[in-house]
Amino acid sequence: MNLEFGRVTLVILFALIPIVGIFLGMRAPALRSRIPIFIGLFAGLIPILSMYIPKRFLSGETGMSPRLDQWLIILAGFALLLGIVNVLQNSMRKISRRESGWPFSIVLLLGLFVTGGFGIYGALSGHGIGIAADGTPTPFQYMTNWFFQPLQSTIFSLLAFFMASAAFRAFRARNTEATILLIAAGLIMMGRVPVLELLALPIPALHPAAASASQGLGKLTEWIMKTPNGAAQSGIIIGAALGAASMAIRVILGIERGYLGLGKGE
Amino acid sequence: MHLPHIGVWIAAFLTISALSFLYKDNPFFRFAENLFAGVSLGYFVGITLDQTLMPNLISPMRENFGQNWDLMVPGLLGLLLYMRYVPKVAWVSRHALAIYVTYYIGVDFTRRLNGEVMPQLARLIQPLSPFDLQTLFTLIYIVGVFSVLIYFFFSKEQGPITKRISRLGIWFLMISFGAAFGFTVMGRVALLIGRLNFLLFDWMYPILGL
Amino acid sequence: MADIFERLLHLDRRWIFLFVLLSVVAPILVPIGLPVDMTAPTRLAFDFIESLKEGDVVLISFDYGPSSAPENDPMVEAIMRHCALKKLRFVVCVLYPLGGLGLANNVVAKITREFPDLRYGVDYVNLGFKDGASAVMRRMGDDIAGAFPTDVNGKPLSQIPIMKDVHDLRQVKLVFTAATGIIGEWWITQVHPQVGTPVIIGPTAVGAPKYYAFLNSGQIVGMLGGMKGAAEFEKLLRDRYPRMETFYKTTRAFTATKGNDAQTVLHAVILLFLLLGNIAFFRHRRASARA
Repeated sequence: MNLEFGRVTLVILFALIPIVGIFLGMRAPALRSRIPIFIGLFAGLIPILSMYIPKRFLSGETGMSPRLDQWLIILAGFALLLGIVNVLQNSMRKISRRESGWPFSIVLLLGLFVTGGFGIYGALSGHGIGIAADGTPTPFQYMTNWFFQPLQSTIFSLLAFFMASAAFRAFRARNTEATILLIAAGLIMMGRVPVLELLALPIPALHPAAASASQGLGKLTEWIMKTPNGAAQSGIIIGAALGAASMAIRVILGIERGYLGLGKGE
Repeated sequence: MHLPHIGVWIAAFLTISALSFLYKDNPFFRFAENLFAGVSLGYFVGITLDQTLMPNLISPMRENFGQNWDLMVPGLLGLLLYMRYVPKVAWVSRHALAIYVTYYIGVDFTRRLNGEVMPQLARLIQPLSPFDLQTLFTLIYIVGVFSVLIYFFFSKEQGPITKRISRLGIWFLMISFGAAFGFTVMGRVALLIGRLNFLLFDWMYPILGL
Repeated sequence: MADIFERLLHLDRRWIFLFVLLSVVAPILVPIGLPVDMTAPTRLAFDFIESLKEGDVVLISFDYGPSSAPENDPMVEAIMRHCALKKLRFVVCVLYPLGGLGLANNVVAKITREFPDLRYGVDYVNLGFKDGASAVMRRMGDDIAGAFPTDVNGKPLSQIPIMKDVHDLRQVKLVFTAATGIIGEWWITQVHPQVGTPVIIGPTAVGAPKYYAFLNSGQIVGMLGGMKGAAEFEKLLRDRYPRMETFYKTTRAFTATKGNDAQTVLHAVILLFLLLGNIAFFRHRRASARA
């Protein structure tokens, strides 16, 4: 039995304390939120402190932090599947009550069970879910190739049409700001791809001029992207990061508890 | 003539069903939409079980329990997350949720400061000599970053000076958003090109024997 | 005349959709062969890979899904071809849950068909997918096997020769992330400050403007922005390696260079829409001001 410091401490913090917390919480409802916030403080501080205090008990090979990373990979796996329960409940309700569009809920469940079933089969049988050594796809990979991929990419490609329509109907030079936006968009669109060369295509005499104008425009585009765009993006990154970092402190210290389904005073 | 195999036919049918939304909402689109949702969730089940839970949780415990006994805890915490669906004891899941959320937010904290704020600010500290075109561009860059930040941080009460600076910040943002629009057009079109390429070359051409 | 613009403003949007569809289909069916202009971020990426030595290990992370595959697939394919031609070894991993794994499996299979000399486990390995991207990255900084105990097919990393030389990310000479969302960015903002491994990002065009800030601050050593960036990289490969010139000319498969024509035509169409929409808007505004 491996009883390294890191593992044992993690088990005390994130197994024993929650178990005690759950027992106490049954008697004293006030503890139902306090103990989760208390253990959350440690879970949040370990990855932070391990970066700034390289002490063995935290970030060394047998320390808490690397093992916690491994734990959280597993926990993230469980969390990814959380939404499925919700979808199952909703679809079942729709079907049992014959709500409008209920046959589509059957389609949804069918997609879920068939794909998920192939996945479970691949995992448990040891065949895996990818491509076999001889190049044949497993049933799961087959579902991925011919159902999942075409559906996802087509649904996202619909945006191309709506964007073109929006460009025509909504993108107007109403004021200074909108005009700057419009000019920048137009320059980038002309400079990133050889639009000028395309327009000059019917007139061969214009080809060299179009090529050199296109190159000049390309350089201008790169400058816009690098300098004014880079500056604005840098400003956004710094601003958003400071906001997110302060929010992180609030969550770790238990001031912000919305994610636990609690208000400020609870 | 060499007909495309069944998978290509299915993908083509689903592609056209999804595209049919452009004409109007219809049962084929809703079929495709719901199938997509179902298949996506089933996909999550497959990848999580086969690629994460098996190699990182189940196999290590089965093969060498003494070394990996502690992995029981994240396994049980993972199951605890699902207690939120049992109304009477939903509060129990908070223990697992707190660990999950605060850990990832803790990692995010280090990322924001170490990976974003510090290097981005460091970029702004540049020598101004020799003063050439590049230095001018650097100055424009610095003015851009600060004016955008002032626009963000003084968005409530503005004095006459901050008001002007933040207006400049808005202009920088507008250039950037315009550029982003140009790039977005490029991205969305790429997706459409991908789909049409599939329909034409993988599905229609073989049917026509091309 | 005024009537035409007024009518244009109230045109059923399905006509616009049809016009968009035709303007993409036409150049796919009848290629024009428009040139691909080079940009600095792509050239930086290419030059960095050229500067690596035979046998160096590159980590290729699939941080995208089918929603952006036509943009990202050509990038990773081109990068893998570059690795194969330069005799660099590559380790593939997937951190994007929504479809990344299926794409990675297909791309790896495709490239290994093109380069049959590549030996699995020796020249390249596919580690597969893992949940919890940022925890995975942290763990990979200490010990890759801690995050990925096995490859995609469940084979322990200790039995894979290439992984004997790569204990953690410090032995990786370059991370290339093909990214559709935030996960790819974490290689830049989390892994790079933590272990110092150079990063090249291949974002979708939508994400590309943001990464100019990271390029300016030296946090990335190059970038392939969207399908255009991939087309530029393909051009650099063709110019440098004659074998690639023949390959890209003859392949029936989709490449970014082939998408260049359709992109250009649709850009021209959208520019036309912007122009017409605004002319109609100003005429309308002037008319109502007069009234």
